[in-house]
Amino acid sequence: GKHVEILDAKTREKLCFLDKVEPHATIAEIKNLFTKTHPQWYPARQSLRLDPKGKSLKDEDVLQKLPVGTTATLYFRDLGAQISWVTVFLTEYAGPLFIYLLFYFRVPFIYGHKYDFTSSRHTVVHLACICHSFHYVKRLLETLFVHRFSHGTMPLRNIFKNCTYYWGFAAWMAYYINHPLYTPPTYGAQQVKLALAIFVICQLGNFSIHMALRDLRPAGSKTRKIPYPTKNPFTWLFLLVSCPNYTYEVGSWIGFAIMTQCLPVALFSLVGFTQMTIWAKGKHRSYLKEFRDYPPLRMPIIPFLL
Amino acid sequence: MGIVPSSVVLTSFQVMSRVFLIWAVTHSVKEVQTEDSVLLFVIAWTITEIIRYSFYTFSLLNHLPYLIKWARYTLFIVLYPMGVSGELLTIYAALPFVRQAGLYSISLPNKYNFSFDYYAFLILIMISYIPLFPQLYFHMIHQRRKVLSHTEEHKKFE
Repeated sequence: GKHVEILDAKTREKLCFLDKVEPHATIAEIKNLFTKTHPQWYPARQSLRLDPKGKSLKDEDVLQKLPVGTTATLYFRDLGAQISWVTVFLTEYAGPLFIYLLFYFRVPFIYGHKYDFTSSRHTVVHLACICHSFHYVKRLLETLFVHRFSHGTMPLRNIFKNCTYYWGFAAWMAYYINHPLYTPPTYGAQQVKLALAIFVICQLGNFSIHMALRDLRPAGSKTRKIPYPTKNPFTWLFLLVSCPNYTYEVGSWIGFAIMTQCLPVALFSLVGFTQMTIWAKGKHRSYLKEFRDYPPLRMPIIPFLL
Repeated sequence: MGIVPSSVVLTSFQVMSRVFLIWAVTHSVKEVQTEDSVLLFVIAWTITEIIRYSFYTFSLLNHLPYLIKWARYTLFIVLYPMGVSGELLTIYAALPFVRQAGLYSISLPNKYNFSFDYYAFLILIMISYIPLFPQLYFHMIHQRRKVLSHTEEHKKFE
């Protein structure tokens, strides 16, 4: 067998010595062995690398395939408390769903007492509540049944950051849309119908992309493949962009902004668009790096432009 | 941008807060322009900047007189609180005029379904000084300890 010594990446202190490790042991198995001697560092918060400043080794990497001698020296970095992606997603999406309804039903202490539990007389306000709620229910269901995550966990501080963002904006938008002094869209029913169409099309589009991405990756695996258009017309956007799910998501929010004619919704769309563009560019770059034959026509998020 | 070793985040923050004080408060509310508090922060900023830019210039020329380094890392002890007091007093003085004129504020109903209360915003800004100022101040104190003791050690070996 091989020997494995684990040193702290910052202090070079010897943390653990494992002797008689199977040569075909994976990094995941080594992490489990390391946890036995240091139980506060569960595997999800361990980053093991060959070089103190190098990239983290993957869980699937096999010991004997690494460039090491009979004793492998691995450097350990604590990633901090971790929380599962599923937990984060469920929490950050359940919030807006619930919070928006508090404003929709005009629960006491939000608007003046004479408005408690009253209902808006504008159709668009009821429609907006249905759309907003549908959006977040869809997200929750996708988190539970559709998405296949490459990483199990993320740093714990992310849940506070993410929830502040989602919950904060949901409250801000909901406050104005459900306000007794809400002003319906300038161009009336025409504007609402057009916006609703945009919203519905983009929601269907976004869902289609999520399903297509799921079908690319078998259950339990972490493989990456180039996504291509399928028979579903909504997926034909793959011809022009790498991340059509983000394209459709921005479209949905633009639709919602037009429908409600509410500036905070437009600002939320803008911030979301900025973040998704950053993610799309990153994804696009890694596709290009990983696949030589990546379709050259594709842009990250906006066809031909961005 | 790499020309001087200051943090981009901290420096942008300081620049933004100064621009805000000048444009969004002092320039916008004419009535506070005659307040003593304006004089207070203008003097504090001016002295600070003269020393700071001398420090950067001499550093880049690789000929930094100890006096400038000392001044940069010592005078802030007085100038920072002076500047902050001037800023807070100015914002406080502007409040009644903002309330009266409804400056930069928009209320419901309107077709953008949006509202903004500049008066409340200014109060939030004032409150934000409570967590932010100590952090910046103690960061400078920490820097002072690091920089001035470093020079002491170098002097020992001369």
